[in-house]
Amino acid sequence: MSALDAIKGNWRVLMLVLFLTFAVVALFVPGGIVADDSLAEESIESGPTNLEFGLSLDGGTRIRVPVTGMTAENVAPDAVSDNGEVDQQRLDSIESTLYQELGVDQADATVDVQDDGTVTAEVFVENVTEAEFAAALQKANADASEDDIRDGVTEQTRDQMISTIQTKINEAGLSGGTVYEASTLNDEHYIVVEVPNMDSNELRTLLSERGVVQVVAYYPGEDGNQTKKPVLTNEDIASVDAPELRGEDTPGEPYYVVPVQVRDSSASEFQQQMNDLGFTSEGVGKCDLPEENGNFQFGEGSGSYCLLTEVDNETVAAHSMGDTSSGGGSGLATNMRRGNWANDPSFFMGAQNQQDAQSLSVNLRAGSLRAPLDFENSQIYSIEPSHAEQFKQYSLLIGLLSVITVSGVVYARYTDTRVALPMIVTAMAEVVILLGFAALIRMPLDLSHVAGFIAVVGTGVDDLVIIADEVMDEGDVNSARVFQSRFRKAFWVIGGAAATTVVALSPLAVLSLGDLRGFAIITILGVFIGVIITRPAYGDILRRLLTNQ
Amino acid sequence: MAYFDVPEIDYPRYSNRQLAAVPLAVLAVALLVLSGSFLVYGTPVPLGMDFAGGTELTVQTTTPEGQIPAAFEEQPESVTGAGGNEYIVRFSETDSQTLSEQARENLEQDGNSELVQSVSSTSASFGQQSQQTALLGLVVAFLGMSAVAFLLFRTFVPSIAIVISAFSDLVIPLAFMRLTGIPLSLGTVAGLLMLIGYSVDSDILLNNHILRRSGEFYESTFRAMQTGVTMTITSMAAMLVMAVTAFVFNIDLLQSIGTILFVGLAADLMNTYMLNLSLLRWYKFEGIRS
Repeated sequence: MSALDAIKGNWRVLMLVLFLTFAVVALFVPGGIVADDSLAEESIESGPTNLEFGLSLDGGTRIRVPVTGMTAENVAPDAVSDNGEVDQQRLDSIESTLYQELGVDQADATVDVQDDGTVTAEVFVENVTEAEFAAALQKANADASEDDIRDGVTEQTRDQMISTIQTKINEAGLSGGTVYEASTLNDEHYIVVEVPNMDSNELRTLLSERGVVQVVAYYPGEDGNQTKKPVLTNEDIASVDAPELRGEDTPGEPYYVVPVQVRDSSASEFQQQMNDLGFTSEGVGKCDLPEENGNFQFGEGSGSYCLLTEVDNETVAAHSMGDTSSGGGSGLATNMRRGNWANDPSFFMGAQNQQDAQSLSVNLRAGSLRAPLDFENSQIYSIEPSHAEQFKQYSLLIGLLSVITVSGVVYARYTDTRVALPMIVTAMAEVVILLGFAALIRMPLDLSHVAGFIAVVGTGVDDLVIIADEVMDEGDVNSARVFQSRFRKAFWVIGGAAATTVVALSPLAVLSLGDLRGFAIITILGVFIGVIITRPAYGDILRRLLTNQ
Repeated sequence: MAYFDVPEIDYPRYSNRQLAAVPLAVLAVALLVLSGSFLVYGTPVPLGMDFAGGTELTVQTTTPEGQIPAAFEEQPESVTGAGGNEYIVRFSETDSQTLSEQARENLEQDGNSELVQSVSSTSASFGQQSQQTALLGLVVAFLGMSAVAFLLFRTFVPSIAIVISAFSDLVIPLAFMRLTGIPLSLGTVAGLLMLIGYSVDSDILLNNHILRRSGEFYESTFRAMQTGVTMTITSMAAMLVMAVTAFVFNIDLLQSIGTILFVGLAADLMNTYMLNLSLLRWYKFEGIRS
């Protein structure tokens, strides 16, 4: 037999060997087939293989949560002209009518032009009814009845929230966190946040913080009573630097500040307001708002001129403006009074402690969440890394035990090593190839995938049994032709069985039923690898063993 | 090592009616259990946390099992030991934050390990959505499987025989779940879907041997059985091992998939070689050929 014939005659086995080699390389060679050094380093740290593990085997938290809010679509066709020009004044007027009529914060109602050129109004609070929303829109001369209002928010809002949450997670120093959107059959959408190494309460706290940062002027109004007036919001901030410690060598407690740069567009207005309200004249250095257990006592300390830092309507710090900076140069008040602050509009936002400063900085950088998340209707899964590690070991053990059991049964049935041994080896090869594939595409493995692997061993061996029985049917195989014909017959059944398994599991691979998607994907992949690569190869091996050719 | 052989059953002794009576009776009982349960409880099978909503905490604590409920303001639905000092505490309440805080405050920490090892919580509305999705998944899977069966054999009786026996393969484990109190979870749904795939294998094999091969009816039947029974027993053994070890290690997902598949495959043995076979025999010898 020439070399070419040998290849021709055994190409199925060669394919199997080829795939196995690829799988082993993908699994064990650091960096795998994708020779990327950055990934290689990571995998050396994480374990002996290139396999990636998901939450249930590695620890961490996943939250699936919908966004609070309702939406009225196409409310003001008049605000956008045919050539795409937007009447911003009209949008603003609808928006401010909504604030007034519904009594909600500025952050909780918005009117925006969507990508398709329609105008959408959204309200992000729970205690407003559809009827109230519709009535408020009508007050604003917008085109909306109660029936036009649906639950949920717009895609634009969700996309923005996803990128905000992603930034928040990155800023909080959590690597490997992912945020994505998922939808249900009845077109409800929710946001899925997955973070390794964080417990559920921490993540929930991070996500439930809306992060609306405001700088509020607190000053004696015209009637002599203290008045609050918002002067800057997240949107006015251009850039943020890392928090710094201040006041270590001055009397009083040290405090933290977050250096920020105000947008040029807002700077002169802010400067003007500070001058008008007296912060840069009679109010310089005058902030004596009493504080108890971290809560500021408003109503006392009259005559104060404080710049309050508010996060989600809670005051986290109160400071006055000074005439000299801590470095000894001219202070904020001086520069503003002279009118040259707006040329280099940077200042410091105060915070009580390092943690507040850190979260203030995260909130400023990530921006505020456009809408709150509805934790009442959420799904949370969280597992400690040590516990997950146990699951990992147990899964390996369960997998091994299943393979041993299957081998035992197969051997007991055939009592012929020539038939049973290649069967077991082939079934295991299938799992190795599948694992290699998972490592190659860096699919994070979860418990559900483990179940999938065991199911694959099950179906795989089923098919091998069909092949073995068919091939050995009616006595010994004495020619390659007989073998081929029997093998083809066996394949008809295997193909039919494979088709039903794929059809039965594909809804699960598409539908969002959480954990089950992994199970379905692995099983379907396993069936394909089996039908295309491993099972034909088993036929070849069996033929060689039984016919000596 | 003990080895097993597939016994040859003396089929000619039994009439089609007799053969079909047993699996049909079991199917009827199963349907009765499910409909009765639907009337009494509102659902054919008990719904687990994934579908009904609720919270499950895995805690590691030196507090004795009996005193664990006292740590929570909400009365837990159940507390199960999970080996060592680990316990799984289930609530119908969905405020996982408060519950895990109560656990951290009121239970005794076991050495240095985290008190709350794992939290999982599903809101009722989320569970409702999952229910619909899972139901849709099962229906689509079943219809898809039926379509494949009809495409493969293109004749009514053999195809419908596969569909009926697959239906029974699903209904029997569901009734088993009701009787033993196994709740419907994502894991059991996966088991049921997998069952559709698994159970059809031996039916296709049987139909194929009888309809598409030369050879006498009982001879073909026996050969199909040899292969089919081996296949099913192998899978059952794998699932039994998975269910038992996952039970020992307390891995719910794997335990439910294993249990459901084991019971379903056992039902499949009966359905394939009694129900499907009797229909085929009737079709082959008495049925009107199309």
